[in-house]
Amino acid sequence: MKRIPLFPWILIFLGFLYFFLPLIGTLDFSLRLVKDQITLEAYKNVVTSARFQNTFTYSFIMALWTIVAATLLVTPTVYWVHLKLPHLRPIVEFITLLTYVVPAIILVFGLIRIYSRPPLSLLESEIGSDFLLVMGYVSLALPAMYRSVDAGLRAIDVRTLTEAAQSLGAGWRTILLDVIFPNLRVALLSGAFVTFAMVIGEFTIATFLARPAFGPYMANLGQTRPYESTALTIISLALTWACIGMMQLLGRGAQGQIAGTR
Amino acid sequence: MQTAQTLSSRSAPPSRKRNVSFAWLGVVPFFLFAALFLILPSGILLVGAVQDKQGNFTLANFAGMFKGVSLGLVAAPSQANLLGLTFPLPFTVDFQSNSMINAYILSIQVSVVTAFLGGVIGFLLAYAAVLGGLPKFVRSALLTFSGVASYFSGVPLAFAFIATLGRLGFVTVLIRNIFGFDLYMTGFSVLSLLGLVLTYTYFQFPLMVLVITPALDGLKREWREASENLGASAFEYWRHVAFPIILPSLLGTMILLFGNSFGAVATAYALTGGNFQLATILIFRQIRGEVLQDPGLGYAVAVGMIVVMALSLGLYYWLQRRSERWLRR
Amino acid sequence: MAFLELTNISKVFGQTPAVQDFNLQVEKGEFVSFLGPSGCGKTTTLRMIAGFELPTTGTVVVNGNDVTNKPPQKRNTGMVFQAYALFPNMNVAENIGFGLKIARKPKDEIKKRVEEVLAIIKMESFGNRYPYQLSGGQQQRVALARALAIQPQVLLLDEPLSALDAKIRVSLRQEIRAIQQKLGITTVYVTHDQEEALSLSDRVVVMNNSKIEQVGTPFEIYNFPKTEFTAQFVGTLNSIPATVRHAANGELTVDSQTLVTAQKLAGIADGEAVMISIRPERISFASEGRKPNVLNIKVENITFLGSIVRVQVRAGEHLFLMDTFNNPFLKLPEVGDKVEITFSKEAVLVLRHASQI
Repeated sequence: MKRIPLFPWILIFLGFLYFFLPLIGTLDFSLRLVKDQITLEAYKNVVTSARFQNTFTYSFIMALWTIVAATLLVTPTVYWVHLKLPHLRPIVEFITLLTYVVPAIILVFGLIRIYSRPPLSLLESEIGSDFLLVMGYVSLALPAMYRSVDAGLRAIDVRTLTEAAQSLGAGWRTILLDVIFPNLRVALLSGAFVTFAMVIGEFTIATFLARPAFGPYMANLGQTRPYESTALTIISLALTWACIGMMQLLGRGAQGQIAGTR
Repeated sequence: MQTAQTLSSRSAPPSRKRNVSFAWLGVVPFFLFAALFLILPSGILLVGAVQDKQGNFTLANFAGMFKGVSLGLVAAPSQANLLGLTFPLPFTVDFQSNSMINAYILSIQVSVVTAFLGGVIGFLLAYAAVLGGLPKFVRSALLTFSGVASYFSGVPLAFAFIATLGRLGFVTVLIRNIFGFDLYMTGFSVLSLLGLVLTYTYFQFPLMVLVITPALDGLKREWREASENLGASAFEYWRHVAFPIILPSLLGTMILLFGNSFGAVATAYALTGGNFQLATILIFRQIRGEVLQDPGLGYAVAVGMIVVMALSLGLYYWLQRRSERWLRR
Repeated sequence: MAFLELTNISKVFGQTPAVQDFNLQVEKGEFVSFLGPSGCGKTTTLRMIAGFELPTTGTVVVNGNDVTNKPPQKRNTGMVFQAYALFPNMNVAENIGFGLKIARKPKDEIKKRVEEVLAIIKMESFGNRYPYQLSGGQQQRVALARALAIQPQVLLLDEPLSALDAKIRVSLRQEIRAIQQKLGITTVYVTHDQEEALSLSDRVVVMNNSKIEQVGTPFEIYNFPKTEFTAQFVGTLNSIPATVRHAANGELTVDSQTLVTAQKLAGIADGEAVMISIRPERISFASEGRKPNVLNIKVENITFLGSIVRVQVRAGEHLFLMDTFNNPFLKLPEVGDKVEITFSKEAVLVLRHASQI
């Protein structure tokens, strides 16, 4: 009665081939800076370069700001909508989906057009440009963050928890910090990791806001230094793996994205 | 007394009466953000698209997008070309176009093909892992890899494919060494449209796996048993029951994939350096001031993209509602 | 020869026996229920009749044909599932017509048959509705209609009512019985609800621990349980330890009060410890008329259940229950009162030796 599922095995094999070949190819390529030799030279060149260190640090910091801003923006909003304004829910959901309708390239087009001239000439200053970059990234991260927090709140039945806390005499601060937030920790962390993975190598917005970010640096390097750029690819891939791995470890399971840094 | 003091010293939740009038204040930051960094930027493009250089209202920019575009049919046999493959056609399409419309057509072609390919591959993989009778670890491995791969896109992905399928790429060299066959002799190039499609599909199919796996899990054992009980073969079960049930999710996800690829720019730019005039690349170059001297025209092209994305999202929601309604109980 | 014959059926999953030594003959048109707690093997047995599971040993014969190893598609049984299992992408008419469509019946014949079956379940106007537009009870009726549409030789129902509300459960169960009797279709019904099994069936098969405990009419099962499991599982039962005082006269002692049973106590010696069981509804207050057995008790608790009132009483150290009909004009004793209760000789069943329990 038991037969070996040959066809499914072949499918899975081909799928994994498609998945792994580019990874193996990239790894292989990144180790061949010196002819006929396996070497970590390309990695050494990359990691020791000041441009790498600067752009990576910059993107890392921007990613952290993005996570902070997105968390502060999304969590109270979603909590409040769950608790008090359920009729606004479709509108909030619709806004998070605008990110899908307005791809990064269009978004940055509009951002430049508004914020490069008075009355809102943010792009004239470094700090203003950084701020705009973070805001652009928050837009990109919005759907993932929203869904993560929304699912987290749905799972704990906020209204009952809040009312229970209120009936025990808790004030708003206690409710938010001691009751809601701990229950959301996993959702927030997984949202943070997804955001980080999306933002760290982002190219389009950073390029047009002329930010010294990791994504444009990588693209630039690709035109002149093929081995170093593949080494960078492996590095950024390892980061993505780490982020998504952490997220899955947190038990949120596999979750796709519908907007991002294509 | 003690208790009463402790209670009142805490910030007591506002009373119900005050909630009603000021509850909306809680969502002001969010809506402010949305207005400033999502709606305003897209709105300004729309405004720019319906203004002439003096700032007067005009539809000339949209008309300009279609300038020189005409479509006719001539009753003579010809050949059609899709991504490098040729098909005979019984008639000749006399299609005159311009660079903007061509960019849309190319974007839509690439997006449709990669959405379809990614969708089919993703579905087959999910099917094999969920219903193929494979060990459990295959399924969790597939889901983990898909979770990672769906985020592997943009510049690094392009580099990965160049390192793999480029002229000196890993697979190219492997095939040459093992089979003595040069991929590039066939006219293949990772920088070609086919290369672009292969690269895009890489971030497309994992997303399909992630979305369709729960849908396949949602196929109840009882449905299969009920259909067997009523005399249906495995094929008939799939044709009449299982496939129609998952079809809305399948199509809906393909639409998401379409949008995924339609809005992509970093991957294409890093892969081909802007050789292919996709709609996103056109806008990319427009922002840099390389093409289309007329800024109004540039806004119109951008608004056109928003329209395509909005339409696809609307279609997605329609399909989604349908399948949710079916599966509610 | 019976219409459905299950002979020496057993089923083992891995190491665990799910069904053992199952023998049953079901006559044409008979309604048989498998009753037992979850995990007793009743559903597995039903699934073996349907062909979803193959028996490890034994044979399944339907109408003289051995179908033991036939796939479900070739058995012509109609199955109704606990979770309805309607195809969500088809409307009611398409669901009901599915089996006929698969059998390549002509369109107009399908249409006619669907209308017939819709009439049987009294849902004539629902043909164009989709499952998500129906209530649970309606969905289950459609599922029944779908199973009936193919004119199966045997109708199989797997806990079809357990997902429904109490009220719908009762009305639908009467409807199922009425349809079954009208069509005269041989039916096997799996349930863990004794009330359902007793009210619907011609015969009940009580199962426990992968084995048949007892097969009999609802009357036999309820009034003359052969094993303690059957007695306990079907209906409420008081089990009270007692001592045999005089076996030849059927005399026993409970709390140093004497009872008499109508049962023959053959093979039991005087002074032996036994277990007696009495159904709560067979006990009444002695003030309403005395029967041969009278016990002095203390009222411990009174629970109002609607049509009946359940009274918990104590005799010495033994607690047991009695049910009395709710009569608004009759004054019940109060908690703590010491009163007399009474029951007939026949009500006292001596089940098995206490030492064996």
